[in-house]
Amino acid sequence: MTNPFSLEGKVIVQCGGTGLLGRELVKAIGQAGATLVVGTRDPSKFGPDLERAREARVEVQVEKLIVSDEDSVNAFRDAVLAKNGRVDGLVYNTVSRPMKGERPHADEWRDSMETNATGLYLTMNAFVEVMEKQPTGGSIVNISSMMGMVGPNMANYEGTDMKPAPDYFFHKSGMINVSRYYASVYGTKGVRCNVVSPGGIFNPEAPQPDAFLEKYNKRTMMGRMANADEMNGAVIFLLSDAAAYVTGINLPVDGGFTGK
Amino acid sequence: MNSPSGKTIWITGGAGYLGTPTTIALDQCCAKVLCIDLPGKAAALVKSANLQHTVPVELDVNDPATLPAAVAALIAEHGAPDGLAHLTVATSMGHTLEDLPAETFQATLDRSLVPTFVLCRELAKSMQASGGGSLVLFSSMYGLVPPDKHAYREEMKPNPIDYGVSKAGMIQLARYLAMHYGPDDIRVNCIAPGPFPNPVAQAANPDFVNTLNQKTMLRRIGRNNEMLGPVLFLLSDQASYVTGQTLSVDGGWTAW
Repeated sequence: MTNPFSLEGKVIVQCGGTGLLGRELVKAIGQAGATLVVGTRDPSKFGPDLERAREARVEVQVEKLIVSDEDSVNAFRDAVLAKNGRVDGLVYNTVSRPMKGERPHADEWRDSMETNATGLYLTMNAFVEVMEKQPTGGSIVNISSMMGMVGPNMANYEGTDMKPAPDYFFHKSGMINVSRYYASVYGTKGVRCNVVSPGGIFNPEAPQPDAFLEKYNKRTMMGRMANADEMNGAVIFLLSDAAAYVTGINLPVDGGFTGK
Repeated sequence: MNSPSGKTIWITGGAGYLGTPTTIALDQCCAKVLCIDLPGKAAALVKSANLQHTVPVELDVNDPATLPAAVAALIAEHGAPDGLAHLTVATSMGHTLEDLPAETFQATLDRSLVPTFVLCRELAKSMQASGGGSLVLFSSMYGLVPPDKHAYREEMKPNPIDYGVSKAGMIQLARYLAMHYGPDDIRVNCIAPGPFPNPVAQAANPDFVNTLNQKTMLRRIGRNNEMLGPVLFLLSDQASYVTGQTLSVDGGWTAW
């Protein structure tokens, strides 16, 4: 039997690859056998990550991508097609968090809209247009958050200067339902669209304050935050043929935070 | 990789229509598979599919009274499992809601929720000692939404209420157990399959299959080999931070 989770022979596009989670995805998707193209705002910043990927024996193509700019998105899509001829999977992991605090100026809300809403819309459209014409369709995996499912528990943040901002809750929630829209509209064309909703991810480079960790950990079933590489399995599963009958779902990878 | 490679996995209902491809896939990656089914079924599968790592087990997992001793004997012989895929179902197909005897409703719950709880508790006890594991329960789309009365022809009996209620119970059983056993690194999740009628049912009701097709975003019923990916994923270490969740494998049935 061939490995049902293999991405061998598939061309996967990943938007956003320099963050904590994105870097791990780059390695894992590449190791699963995919031809991986990463779209990132500033490809020069991807240098160290590219090195890391190569150390992990993963070949990655890197292209400039500004998701809020339609011309940039279409140029990115054309570059992916020119090099690879097809697109089997899209992972939308781009996120912008310009808002800080509870009631910042509306300009920051508009700014957030550009990347987190318009960017998602432009990117999905550019690639669904490719996938719907392919006999084998494609798979879209959008990276949301448990914060797209539940409100913030402000008690977690007491004693820290962490302040969850409202735009994140708006965009991550909207992402979950707009994914059901794409799953429905393009389902007959063999395009699947699903969401992975990570819980809080521990940042070993800049650890969250102890005051936060102590309270947060207790609010998961597993008593800990996620490691950055613990999203890989869910994303690869949904990209692969192992999830051929899975569409329109939101898969929380949150140690049970939203299961209680 | 996403497969539970090298592990010992138990699969109940492992020789049924939905279980068979999963058992075969587990056999190829696991150190040992216990395929638990009704008399003769698992042994026949092991033989016909030439399974190398699978032990056929005859056991009625729906009897809570005999389960603890049976589970203890299997653990004594084969060691504590790393994971369980619990596909066995109990149902009262063939009754309308009006005709369903109260005792039959009760019997369905007695032969589904109660033994599932007992089985999970026994296995979790052994997993606590062995350092963790993964329990995968089976709910259904009908544990999330009711069957659509309009989809059934006059003479057909809609999927019965006791089935849906027992499948809804699986979801909460998984969440409760996930919370309880989380600190022991025992993950508990549910899979909610969509329409997977077996070939006999498909042949008997082609119009109904077409109705089912139209109720999914992918416009088709599921194929039985499309269940192995979700099961293998949840059993594997690649799902190490997934617990207390219900994963729908339904072609989008419950997403619109």
